[in-house]
Amino acid sequence: MTKGKIIINEANCLGCGYCEKFCSRECIVIPGDKFSPRGYLLPVFANPDRCNACGVCNWMCPHFAIEVYKYIENEGTGSS
Amino acid sequence: MNTEKVWAAPNLLAFSPTCPGCQYLTIGRIIAEVLEELDIEGKAIAVIGIGCNGYISYALNVDRILGAHGRPPDMATAIKRLSPDNVVFTIQGDGDCMAIGADSFIGALIRGEKFTIIMCNNANYGTTGGQLAPTTLMGQITTTTPDGRNVITDGYPVHTAELAATFRGVAYSARSAVNTPANYQRTRKCIKSAFQKQVDQIGLSFVEVLSACPPNWHLSPVESLKWIEEKMIPEFPLGEFKNVNKTD
Amino acid sequence: MVERKLVQGNEAVGWGALSAGCDAFFGYPITPQNEIPEWFSREFPKRGKIFVQSQSEVGSIMMVYGGAAAGFRVMTSTSSPGWALMQEGMSHLAAAELPCIIVLVQRGGPGQGSIRHAQMDYLCTTRGGTGGYKNIILAPASVQETHDLVQLAFYLADKYRNPVIVLSDGILGLIRESLEMKTMDFGPLPEKDWAVRGRERQRDKNFRFVHSGVGTAAILVRGYPDYISWLEHMDDKYEQMKSELKYEGYQAEDAELFLVAYGYPARVCKEAVNMARAEGLKVGLLRPITLWPFPYQVIKEKAESGGRFLVVEDSLGLMVEDVRMAVQGQAEVHFLGIQSRHLPTDGGMILPRRVLEEISRLATEEGR
Repeated sequence: MTKGKIIINEANCLGCGYCEKFCSRECIVIPGDKFSPRGYLLPVFANPDRCNACGVCNWMCPHFAIEVYKYIENEGTGSS
Repeated sequence: MNTEKVWAAPNLLAFSPTCPGCQYLTIGRIIAEVLEELDIEGKAIAVIGIGCNGYISYALNVDRILGAHGRPPDMATAIKRLSPDNVVFTIQGDGDCMAIGADSFIGALIRGEKFTIIMCNNANYGTTGGQLAPTTLMGQITTTTPDGRNVITDGYPVHTAELAATFRGVAYSARSAVNTPANYQRTRKCIKSAFQKQVDQIGLSFVEVLSACPPNWHLSPVESLKWIEEKMIPEFPLGEFKNVNKTD
Repeated sequence: MVERKLVQGNEAVGWGALSAGCDAFFGYPITPQNEIPEWFSREFPKRGKIFVQSQSEVGSIMMVYGGAAAGFRVMTSTSSPGWALMQEGMSHLAAAELPCIIVLVQRGGPGQGSIRHAQMDYLCTTRGGTGGYKNIILAPASVQETHDLVQLAFYLADKYRNPVIVLSDGILGLIRESLEMKTMDFGPLPEKDWAVRGRERQRDKNFRFVHSGVGTAAILVRGYPDYISWLEHMDDKYEQMKSELKYEGYQAEDAELFLVAYGYPARVCKEAVNMARAEGLKVGLLRPITLWPFPYQVIKEKAESGGRFLVVEDSLGLMVEDVRMAVQGQAEVHFLGIQSRHLPTDGGMILPRRVLEEISRLATEEGR
């Protein structure tokens, strides 16, 4: 399985919850006790082992607060 | 282990000016991807109406103009006629397109202008605080329908994509939404088809995209997406209402 | 060999626009200027230029906005009821600083009005629409001058990045006179680096944003630190525009009574001046060619040297207020208006004999 990771841009996040709703592998959770500097409820990448870099969280995030990365084998250099 | 970035944000955006859960930047990003994919970004000109949907331009790196409320089809007519090799498209809200801009919209449909109209439908006038719009649903409470839209004073919601499909000069008319990942991809297909019609110089292309407006619907963002699924889509069915390769 | 044609005033607009290199005309039918869009519909497409009949005047003016934003020379024409529909567009054009010309062939008003000549739009052209912008207004008094001022209008519009109005009327639009077709060159103009053409065509590859809501977005879009700074820029521009003042004096050097008129009444007044001079009366005509900027200074000077004024205007009294303002209480300002038409109908005109009658009345002791 492809493995992936996400980076959440906490300054951009407005706590809408779409990422939590649409991650089909339950990687993203909004714990309810983590807030952005502007006071929005932040999600956390709670289950990184389950992420397969599908990108749906990035598609559905309306505030460009999620970047999705795919792990690649050591041949070649990945651009990030 | 090295990583490769697969999905990211456009570099332009420093912050999101939209309300939490507003989907206009999602639509904007879809447009940006389609323009890049069709290799027309460098010659694209966006004509922006008045409303929150104008924030779509924050996701785009194209020349753009903004003028009076409802008038993008007029401005786009002039630009496309004078400079036909530019890819010209409008970004409008439901009120901008079908209320104050109806004169402009119908004029462009009648003349069969060869640009693309993207109408974002969030069933209210969002920027001004959530008033009645042409696409507000029956019974929907807005600041100017405090008891809910009713037929006697407010008529019925208008079906713009179906209306546009009835004009001979229109090559493409579709309605989509971005409330699920599947619909996100559907919207991407529609917008790509719409721009392809312009590239192929066939006729006017129109895409209506249903979009969440959580603050004015008085719902949480996730509840808003549910409202689109359960209330908006039954009233405004998704689909392609016209898709032709010749308009005569 | 100079090319001359017998041309109608409305069509002279077209010939002038063609000489000025106009790229597109957007218009809508309305009497008494239908000959203008009809001329463009015949003469433009065959020359590879654009003609669009819009769905309304609201459409025409916003098409002008789009075309101007894309860096082209564009224009529209209309009459008084259509001009009302263009007020929103004019304000947006002024805010976005877009060059264009609008030919307004005045008819009787208010409302649907009459379909024949009048001069009732002086205030809503010189005073502008919402937001207090200013625009240069050129007022021809002949077919030749219509043709020439249309070309000047395109130049001034580009020079100041502002709409320019050419103010005609139903008589000037329909009369036929000899027209010398010529292309006028007013000098070089800067490139339109601000226009939208597609980002790949911009020299610096940065996107352009033509925006009429600068009050809300001054900082982001136009690079002004705040709204007031941008308004100060606009104010500076309007001050500079005042240097384009134009007026004509006819037999005005030694006159004691000055007629002030523009448009068809100016032609009538010239005739009246001739008739009065033949009777030994020292009458002259001051004819503003730019209604904005208005020739306040020359009127003030004539007032200070003892002159009296008779404003002849086919209205209930609009330009007369500017003359009163100019004299600053130092001279008599009389008015001969629409009630003095030879017939009390939409077709009535202010005729030379009536103006002479008023001149004679003012010349007697009773008139003082």
